[in-house]
Amino acid sequence: MKASTRKLILPGTIVALIIATVILAPVLPLQDTRGMDIPHRFAGPSAAHWLGQDEFGRDVLSRLIWGGRASLFIAVGSAVLAAIAGTALGLLGGYFRGAVELFTVRAAEIILCLPPLLLALLVVTILGAGTWPLILALTILYTPNYARVVYAATQQVRGLDFVTAQRAMGTHPLKILVRTILPNVLPPLLVQMSLVVASAMVIESGLSFLGLGVVPPTPSWGLMIRAARGAMEVAPLLLVWPSLALAGTILTFNLLCDRLQSALDPRAVTAGGALWLRPRSREAKKPVTPVAAPAEAPLLEISDMSIAVHDMELVRRVSLTVRPGETVALVGESGSGKTLTGLAMTGLLPDTLRVTGGSAVYTTRDGTAVDLAKLDEEGIRKLRGDEISMVFQDAAASLNPVLRIGDQLGEAIQAHHQISGEALQKRILDLLRHVGIPDPERRHRAYPHELSGGQRQRAMIALAVANNPRLLIADEPTTALDPTIQAQILQLFAQLKKDTPGMGMIFVTHDLAVVAEIADRVTVMYAGEVVEEGPVAEVFARPRHPYTAALISSVPESGAERLTAIPGTVPSPRNMPTGCRFAPRCGFATAECESRSPKAEHPAADRVTRCFRWENVT
Amino acid sequence: MLRYIAFRSLVALFLVWVVVTIVFLLLHLIPGDPAELLLSTGNVAADPQAVAALREQMGLNAPLWQQYLDHMAGVLTGDLGASFRDGAPVIEQIALRLPRTLEVILAASLIATGIGVPLGTYAAIRADGKADAVISFFASASLSTPVFVVGSVVILIFAQELKWLPAGGFVPFSEDPVEHFKLLLMPAGTVALSLLAVITRMSRASVLEVLQRDYVRTARAKGLSRAPILRRHVVRNALIPVLTVLGLEMGTLIGGTVLVEFVFNWPGLSGYLVSAVDARDYPEVVGIVMTISVLFVFLNLVVDVVNAMLDPRISLVR
Amino acid sequence: MTDANAPLVEARTLGRNFPTRHGLLGRAQDVWAVRDVSLTVAKGETVGIVGESGCGKSTLGRMMMGLDSPTKGSMSFDGRDLSSLSSAEMRKLSRRMQMVFQDPFGSLDPRRTIGAQIADGLRTHNIVPGSEVKAEVARLLEQVGLPTSAAERRPHEFSGGQRQRIAVARALSTRPDFIVADEPVSALDVSIQAQVVNLLMDLRRDLDLAMLFISHDLHVVRHLCNRIVVMYLGRIVEEGPAEKVFGTPSHPYTRALLAATPSLHPRDPSEGDKVLKGELPSPANPPSGCPFRTRCPLAEEACAKGVPPLSPVGDGWRAACIKAAPVAEGVPA
Repeated sequence: MKASTRKLILPGTIVALIIATVILAPVLPLQDTRGMDIPHRFAGPSAAHWLGQDEFGRDVLSRLIWGGRASLFIAVGSAVLAAIAGTALGLLGGYFRGAVELFTVRAAEIILCLPPLLLALLVVTILGAGTWPLILALTILYTPNYARVVYAATQQVRGLDFVTAQRAMGTHPLKILVRTILPNVLPPLLVQMSLVVASAMVIESGLSFLGLGVVPPTPSWGLMIRAARGAMEVAPLLLVWPSLALAGTILTFNLLCDRLQSALDPRAVTAGGALWLRPRSREAKKPVTPVAAPAEAPLLEISDMSIAVHDMELVRRVSLTVRPGETVALVGESGSGKTLTGLAMTGLLPDTLRVTGGSAVYTTRDGTAVDLAKLDEEGIRKLRGDEISMVFQDAAASLNPVLRIGDQLGEAIQAHHQISGEALQKRILDLLRHVGIPDPERRHRAYPHELSGGQRQRAMIALAVANNPRLLIADEPTTALDPTIQAQILQLFAQLKKDTPGMGMIFVTHDLAVVAEIADRVTVMYAGEVVEEGPVAEVFARPRHPYTAALISSVPESGAERLTAIPGTVPSPRNMPTGCRFAPRCGFATAECESRSPKAEHPAADRVTRCFRWENVT
Repeated sequence: MLRYIAFRSLVALFLVWVVVTIVFLLLHLIPGDPAELLLSTGNVAADPQAVAALREQMGLNAPLWQQYLDHMAGVLTGDLGASFRDGAPVIEQIALRLPRTLEVILAASLIATGIGVPLGTYAAIRADGKADAVISFFASASLSTPVFVVGSVVILIFAQELKWLPAGGFVPFSEDPVEHFKLLLMPAGTVALSLLAVITRMSRASVLEVLQRDYVRTARAKGLSRAPILRRHVVRNALIPVLTVLGLEMGTLIGGTVLVEFVFNWPGLSGYLVSAVDARDYPEVVGIVMTISVLFVFLNLVVDVVNAMLDPRISLVR
Repeated sequence: MTDANAPLVEARTLGRNFPTRHGLLGRAQDVWAVRDVSLTVAKGETVGIVGESGCGKSTLGRMMMGLDSPTKGSMSFDGRDLSSLSSAEMRKLSRRMQMVFQDPFGSLDPRRTIGAQIADGLRTHNIVPGSEVKAEVARLLEQVGLPTSAAERRPHEFSGGQRQRIAVARALSTRPDFIVADEPVSALDVSIQAQVVNLLMDLRRDLDLAMLFISHDLHVVRHLCNRIVVMYLGRIVEEGPAEKVFGTPSHPYTRALLAATPSLHPRDPSEGDKVLKGELPSPANPPSGCPFRTRCPLAEEACAKGVPPLSPVGDGWRAACIKAAPVAEGVPA
């Protein structure tokens, strides 16, 4: 059972208990709710009357249970009725739209123009107090809520391909509504239902409290509180019991609603918060004592670095070297660990992930060597954006939508330099011009959504190069772009390389053709491991790992009649093969491959492959 | 931007018209004769002749459409008619009582936002920790406790047992400012408690969501330190949905302070409505409902406009 | 094979308009997603549609499936005009046209088993008797290379490539004559892409299907299609046999698209300046005259005069450019 499902047990059990109690009220050995006992009015708890007696000497416990019965009947009854009406309206309006939408959802929404309590008041005044007028009032009140929720969910689901597929298949629209759409809008409906029960109880008890709801002598929590207020000085406990019962029941339903939401729609609830924001909670990493780097040191040397979530290894013993001025492509399919490796270099791994081993030694501008994997948050923050910076894939999401481009750029510069006013302004405009954004004098005042996809990616690159970084990490920076725009951005990267000869670059991508265009060296990753490494031209001309070879021949560029497809799928981190991780899909695999993990081999001085049979590959 | 506001105002006006019409029709189409109701005392039936005279005097004999037109004409000139009960102009009572209700709501909103936003943000940063659990439980509990329960218990504690504050009532500010605020404290605090819970929960959820956004990662990638990231990127973006919710909640409260006014004897607009509804005083009910819905619709309009100002993406959509 | 030349699907001067209004009082503005497109697909033929985002290729695909109705022009399938059909007739005809979608995670209902989803088509159109549905589902799964046990499982138990095979099996269940595949491999990893492309090639050969293959990946389209249609801002700019269009493209946009596509064998760096300048114009506000002229390296005054018609360049090969002429270049074959 998932943790989110387990959390449902507590509120679920309490709700079940409450409902069982009120349903069983007629058969429980309770005292008569109307049996007066004036001599013992306001008597405290006793063996016969566990919770005491009220202002007429009636038994408080039995009145409490019968009162709960009335409240829950009204709340659940109206929640169910409103659910039926609202779901029908929402489904029809959301699926057919147009005029149907106007007469269903939009018409229902007029009710939302009235404050809820006021509407209930109106209906009750017109029809008189009592249980059924209350149910009607609450049903009218909550129908638009359901209609809205179901409408939104339907709209979302109806756009999905599997609904279109049903239409394409010639299925009747009503059948699509009932068989395909309804089950998929149920989760938000359930959540809404528990919310409405709680909310209906609040309004029911409020009206009863005002004397406009349940009619005496029928017991009700609202009425009990109203009566107890008059006797507050004599018997304060009488106020406490119904208040506790009411608040407790509503609390339980609200809790159930919250937990249902997280169980049914895990994406809607983002857990975890942000460890980096908590000053001292990060495990105390010792500040690294900088050491002078050797003269010929590379810019970045990752050796045997592993990254894990809990105890599941996602990246295993990755090694990678970047020299000044060199572009290294990190290539692999989804789940290969290439993006995580890039993120780890800037300390931006998601909170649940940790670097569990190895080192990533970076040589700073002033010639000292620091291990990025061991730096604390403050230490790595100073390098981020200044010496090491990053370009992300989705520029639309990676730029703050409510800040102007120029301000976001200025902020990046000011994070590392004391500069402001005109000097800062000039630097911003220079940067925008440098990355090829036309008319920077006007464009720096634009918000991200006012730029086209290509220009947003240019702005993203401007952010990254704002402080002339020495190491630029680009994570799939052209993947979401159209071919002609992708070509422009690749050209921009080539230009940047030429303009800043000392800058090293890690280019993370899944596209082999992009690697061929931009990189000097390539590192191929598969299932969290580096499988091959070397100069791009050499690796592509003569791959020394079966995976690289298969990857190259699966690109439909060769002109072959049939593409070489790699059979099977990438293994999941939960059950990695024990030996070579590619063995189950490999045409060269032997018994040895399946039992033992291959060591790094060096087919040439500057090449690495992890394969027992590399000599047989091509 | 101006076009956006103009468009939204038109929609708002239309909604007000729809609401006023619905309320008018509801009250006039239901069974039950107000004249008879007014004249009957206890179980004694009213004199039919007196009823007929009163009906004539109240204009109830005119065709419905004429009553409706008269009513709408009155609304446009600011004349909401005279109360059936005492003949006093309805607009005067509303003008007297509305500010008192608004005062409670405003005081409560200030308290709730001032405490709720920082509290929710803190809970989000410490998500799944002890502080978060305490704050979240407190928020759920106060959200689940109806205002009249809170009000009654607060009176029990602060007025009854501790005797720090008077149990309820109202003194105009001009007469005794200190006493005025002492009396305001409990109703406003009671309303603030549930509003605080809503704002805290919303802020927490909103901050948590923004923290997962890519642009926060970008802000970190720039090398910004915690304070500016939190201020400029996290809280600022997270506030947009929080303000929306605050506006909607305030709208709901305009008609929803009935219970608080009842509990604390606060002579506001909502209490007036309950007695008007009780007496079937048509002009009063229609006048109050209209005032409340106008405010409600207007508040929604303000929320939309503020949103459009905070989020530059919105004005483009329309 | 006498009727092999008669088109199975025919679009005539198809147009689709999405009017957008700015505010309640604003003037409605015409946004043409597809404009003046005429296209045929014959039995056994695979037509590829390429173009960048916003060029209208997906809208065109949906119209050719009858999922969207055209604002202008008409669509006919096997000689029947789709707009003349009642909704019941349309549902019946839809047996013969099926679709495969891009997103392998959105194209299957997460709440129902694979078998039930494939059986939907069989039951709706009574393809096989009720007692044989199970066996038929198993046969379809085997046809796309999945174990028959897959029928009992739900979509989340499968990887992206497997889901895409399931989607293909579902499309095949009604024994269609025509399949529209809208970016069916774009969301897949390279090694899995090849599996699905191979599967589609086999099916086309074995079942003699007509196929409309929509993609932005020029390499895949070239590999799979007999005929290629290049679209820009809702219009066809070039159309013809695959080896001609990509071998010796005659429209400057086709040339630019080919030049922009990265290749395992990088071009001479001096070709860098062949990269197109500028951004795609908004479909709401297309340039006057030739839609491509704002970015075209060959543009001259005459291009602003009017939209150039699709004129023949060779046998079955048309281009919409006043300077259209085959130029030998493009991706190395």
